[in-house]
Amino acid sequence: MFTGRLSDLIDDRPDEGIFRVSRAIFDDPGVFDLEMRRIFESGWVFLGIADQARDPHDFFTTDIGRVPVLVSRDGSGALGAFVNSCPHRGSRVAQTLAGNARLHVCPYHSWSFDSAGRNKSVKLKRAGCYAESFDAQSHDLPALPAFGEYRGFLFGSLDADVPPLETHLGEAAKLLDLVADQGPDGFELVPGAVTFTFQANWKLQLENCSDAYHFTSTHPSYIRILEQRQTANTGVAVKSVWESSDYWREDAQGVAGGSFSFPHGHVLNWGIFGVTEALPLFEQAEALAERHGAAKRDWMFNMRNLSIFPNLQIAENASSQLRVIRPLAPDLTEMRTWCIAPKGESAQARRQRIRQYEDFFNPSGMATPDDTVSYENCQRGFASRVEPWLQGYSRGTTASKAGGNPFSDLIDMKPARSVLADAQLGDETLFQSYYREWARRMAGVIGQ
Amino acid sequence: MTLSLKDAEAILYREAECLDESRWDDWLDLYAEDACFWIPAWKNETETTTDPDTELSLIYYKGRNNLADRVWRVRSGQSVASTPRIRAVHLITNVRLVRADEASAQVASNFAVNLFDKRSGRTHTFFGHYRHALRREGERWLIAGKTIVLLNDTIPTVLDFYCL
Ligand code: FES
Ligand SMILES: [Fe+2]
Repeated sequence: MFTGRLSDLIDDRPDEGIFRVSRAIFDDPGVFDLEMRRIFESGWVFLGIADQARDPHDFFTTDIGRVPVLVSRDGSGALGAFVNSCPHRGSRVAQTLAGNARLHVCPYHSWSFDSAGRNKSVKLKRAGCYAESFDAQSHDLPALPAFGEYRGFLFGSLDADVPPLETHLGEAAKLLDLVADQGPDGFELVPGAVTFTFQANWKLQLENCSDAYHFTSTHPSYIRILEQRQTANTGVAVKSVWESSDYWREDAQGVAGGSFSFPHGHVLNWGIFGVTEALPLFEQAEALAERHGAAKRDWMFNMRNLSIFPNLQIAENASSQLRVIRPLAPDLTEMRTWCIAPKGESAQARRQRIRQYEDFFNPSGMATPDDTVSYENCQRGFASRVEPWLQGYSRGTTASKAGGNPFSDLIDMKPARSVLADAQLGDETLFQSYYREWARRMAGVIGQ
Repeated sequence: MTLSLKDAEAILYREAECLDESRWDDWLDLYAEDACFWIPAWKNETETTTDPDTELSLIYYKGRNNLADRVWRVRSGQSVASTPRIRAVHLITNVRLVRADEASAQVASNFAVNLFDKRSGRTHTFFGHYRHALRREGERWLIAGKTIVLLNDTIPTVLDFYCL
């Protein structure tokens, strides 16, 4: 049990330019337990994409916090989301990651449910000597108290007391539009999912996705190899988007990107890539400009690392990755990752996207392991309380402005705060958005 | 001469020895210049991906130069995940000669790689199947292709090329 106060965990004094986070937030088991209840099990959580259950009776399984979830498309084509636990004695009903089933039969005592979660049979019901009152109870799979779709992105909540999904996403929805609008027929997950774990707190992943400051120091081996491939020019290597960007060049001048923060803990860290042939999207450059205008097209080509609090990240940088963060313990996190791509791109573009993805994003690639090992190094360091306050939430303090800037105006997006950055700034104020939302959600169970 | 089972085993064991002992140049030297190195990802509980151009792999490289990049990275001192290296011992069993003639051969085997990362205290065993495509170049048999089907594909933090 955590008996401290919020002010022991987050030191937020905007007037003095101070924002600090305590190490305890990452390794206290009591804090973790409250996070599961207040953040993962009573608010909007990303479940998956509609295309994972494309046809009638298609389904996939996932989790909200510790709770198993079934997302199923019924015979009429409507999507539903259910607690994947049998009303009889609690067994998980659907057993596989995905599939197609008109009928889900519980493996324990064979109660069955249709693809809309309705109970279809209680085995040997008549011989069961049930009281009449038994029939008054619903034997259906319980639907999630809240379930919503935004442009193919599916979210659910175990608590009905949540704002409408549109309100939760707010202006950050326009960043999901940038993903959804890349293909005329929407987007999909490339076949082949990669799951990995790291022995560190889930919020390290949340932070790292938005961390512009770490790239050149954590990933020099990756950067050097891309440079070597460029000069070797063997024709075997796949083009890299970093080649054409100043985003990570420490000697570059001028605006290289920046950050946007939104209410409810969503953030974007972005950089200018330009409309470059190193991106698989290049073949669509003109068509996209025609369909959406040049400004929105250019945004699709920008590097974008988007976090939708608390568990969805879409990283479009070296390639395009959709990640789902699943906390397992204060110091253990599971990542489910996919290559996300517009439907209908050419075979050449798809191949390029996949190759770029594997080198950068995979736990068997040349970048992600340097991130995750760093999380584990942090987690070890968090044990200290000699000086509990961490200082890594301060870069960009005097650059952070309320509202948007000319770049967000281009897509008519109104963030709560924004930072325009050169290549050296490495904004950290965007993390504050995570922790302000975190504090807001935890306020009900942790005293001020 | 056609490759014998004994020859095939010797090549596999030599590769394992090179990986376990960080003899990276000797390891690269076992591969043909156009070698294909492939670890497919899994589509679901029972099927791996089968087409690297339309489906995801854990690693897919065509060309030994890509393997040389990976070797460069573990040597570079510029990758926190790579230094210090994870200790590894490859155990290779059930070696079968699937097909062999004068010029080429296919070898199937099973592996278990035991790993110990001193830094994190983590021990782990990756296990699965190898399929080696061997090709004669002059006097030597080289690895022209290696496909690794990793059965336990929930990856604890790091999976570098030498961990399989
Ligand atoms: S637990 Fe499902 S039928 Fe008994
Ligand atoms: Fe990184």
